[in-house]
Amino acid sequence: MIKICHLYPDLLNLYGDRGNIIAFQQRCRWRNIPVEVHEVGIGDVLYFDHFDFLFLGGGSDREQNLIVADLMQRRNELKEAIEKGLVLLAICGGYQLLGKYYLTREGENIPGLGILDFYTRAGDRRLVGNVAVETNLGGETVILTGFENHSGQTYLGSIQPLGKVRSGNGNNGEDGWEGARYKNVFCSYLHGPLLPKNARLTDHLIFLVLKRRNRQELLKPLDNTFEDRACRVMLGRMGLV
Amino acid sequence: MKIGLFFAIMAGRLVAFASRVSGRKGSSLPGVIAGKIYYRCLRDLAGQVREGIILVTGTNGKTTTNNMIAGILEKARFKVVANFEGANMVSGVTTSFIKKAGLFGKIDCDYAVIEVDEASVPRVMKELKPEVIVITNFFRDQLDRYWEIEKIVGVIRDSLNKYGYATLVLNADDPLVAQFGQITRLPAVFYGIGRHEQTTDTNTRIREAKFCPFCGAALAYDFFHYGQLGNYRCTGCSFKRPEPGVEAMGTAVSDRITCRIVYANGPEVPLTMQTMGIYNLYNALAAFATGLHLGIDTGIILNGLNSYQPVTGRMEKFVHQGKQVFLILVKNPTGFNEGLSALFLNREKKDVFIAINDNDADGKDVSWLWDVDFEIVGNGHESFRRFICTGRRGEEMAVRLKYAGVPRDKIAVNPDLKQAVRKVLEGGNGQSYLFSTYTALWEVHGILKTMVAGGIKHD
Ligand SMILES: [Zn+2]
Repeated sequence: MIKICHLYPDLLNLYGDRGNIIAFQQRCRWRNIPVEVHEVGIGDVLYFDHFDFLFLGGGSDREQNLIVADLMQRRNELKEAIEKGLVLLAICGGYQLLGKYYLTREGENIPGLGILDFYTRAGDRRLVGNVAVETNLGGETVILTGFENHSGQTYLGSIQPLGKVRSGNGNNGEDGWEGARYKNVFCSYLHGPLLPKNARLTDHLIFLVLKRRNRQELLKPLDNTFEDRACRVMLGRMGLV
Repeated sequence: MKIGLFFAIMAGRLVAFASRVSGRKGSSLPGVIAGKIYYRCLRDLAGQVREGIILVTGTNGKTTTNNMIAGILEKARFKVVANFEGANMVSGVTTSFIKKAGLFGKIDCDYAVIEVDEASVPRVMKELKPEVIVITNFFRDQLDRYWEIEKIVGVIRDSLNKYGYATLVLNADDPLVAQFGQITRLPAVFYGIGRHEQTTDTNTRIREAKFCPFCGAALAYDFFHYGQLGNYRCTGCSFKRPEPGVEAMGTAVSDRITCRIVYANGPEVPLTMQTMGIYNLYNALAAFATGLHLGIDTGIILNGLNSYQPVTGRMEKFVHQGKQVFLILVKNPTGFNEGLSALFLNREKKDVFIAINDNDADGKDVSWLWDVDFEIVGNGHESFRRFICTGRRGEEMAVRLKYAGVPRDKIAVNPDLKQAVRKVLEGGNGQSYLFSTYTALWEVHGILKTMVAGGIKHD
């Protein structure tokens, strides 16, 4: 049984985030891989070791502040789980939380979990629009498409980006990188949401989960006609096909 | 006579005429042009309204509520200016006035009933002084433009407090709206819906307003109607659903809505609406409360509500060779969920058409589709023949349906709107439902109308 942990679904639920959970779950089900989703809220008991896949979405500023306190108490266990290869997808606000700090426009420094080596600072303008990102998944070059909408601008330290921006802004609109990647952790500003349309990324996450359990043989190919068409339409509009 | 106003109106009318000749829906262009020529155009025109201006804002139901209020006022024999076409930013409002103005800028009008986009409230309120402000509800809508409800609430609050004159007509059941009774200094009347057979005790899909806007503690609910609308009270402070001055009791929903309206200082009255969807009852209650506040006789108010005709895309009904066809505008998850629930009110076999565009007026970000509960269609897919997805993001819609559990062979993508409409009307029996986002709506409506001439009749 693959166990998915959806963290703070009642607070971090901006921009159709649950689409990522639906996609992960369905692509397991269509392969007859048993899967279950646990929703974990503030103050709930949570053992990261019990889970195969953790999802951290985005929220509004106020909602995000509410969860930082809760997440801080779980910080060390989360870091340990990540080091041990927990598969994690963090989007927008969830992405920012994993970093060192967030610098507000007023110069206030709000500490993050400090698990990954990057920081975010409030930008002068919101970065909004369609995005295409070129990444490498298991040796294969893949272009992901999605939509970004963030005012925070993220700068990576000694950590890999998720990929190279082919169209759109990405982390900060300056250095050409989008998202972050560390061990089995994937961070991105792309919602849209990310997983349903980008079936190869979803399958890669499932692959990583199965690999940790030595069950890779379960990952059978699926028909991706709709998903690929949806991506191609956007790539076409961004002038990339 | 102000010469600036004269030229502004003349130019605006020319544009209106030109766009009508060329067949375009130039609903706010005249206002844009007129406003450029003479910046006080809207202020001068609106200043001539004799009795008062009624402003309607909120996320869903603005257009319907606005049209209902205008209908009631017309039944009461007042002369009314209204922005009927959903043109609800400054330029659209200006256009509505220009259309009613004589060439020398004179307007013969008792009331103006104006729906205003939430984000445009401050700009519109700079130009005109409303007597009554109706707020319907707040839901997440077009997130790439309006990324946080709190921000919208703050903007409207500041604008109302700066102005400081008007009576508020507020939805008591929406905590985000009801708070305006306290965060502004304006007098308020409330409307709401009492517990009835379809209210639920729990709602896992509540997305906004889980917490008190005043103290941040969780809100506890006795019952929900939909979304965050229901009977709530704060677990941390004294904030709770205000006692409605106008309340619907004993509501029953089938293919129409019946209820009793209970209000202060009068005997209760029965109301029947030939429409599905509880959200339309909220619109009617808002209009009822506004009518009462303006001192209109309840008989006339009911008369106005009864003669209300749904406008384009608000469950507009057509008949095609004996098959019932419904056109429904969708723009956010709550509205779409309400529309989907109509699919389960009878056992007829259904064909569904969904047109999703991502132009400015639709919202460029279509991620909201993942917040719509298409899973109910996936689970109940036996009652559907097929789903035809179209529009600029038709492919995206197909993906959404696939992941909601609709079998792949029931989903088709056809980017050609005309062909897609034709497909969904095929087959003599059952019903067809056409969902469309804003910028595809007029085109879909036009296609439906031409097919009326070829055999479809308006019901
Ligand atoms: Zn409170």
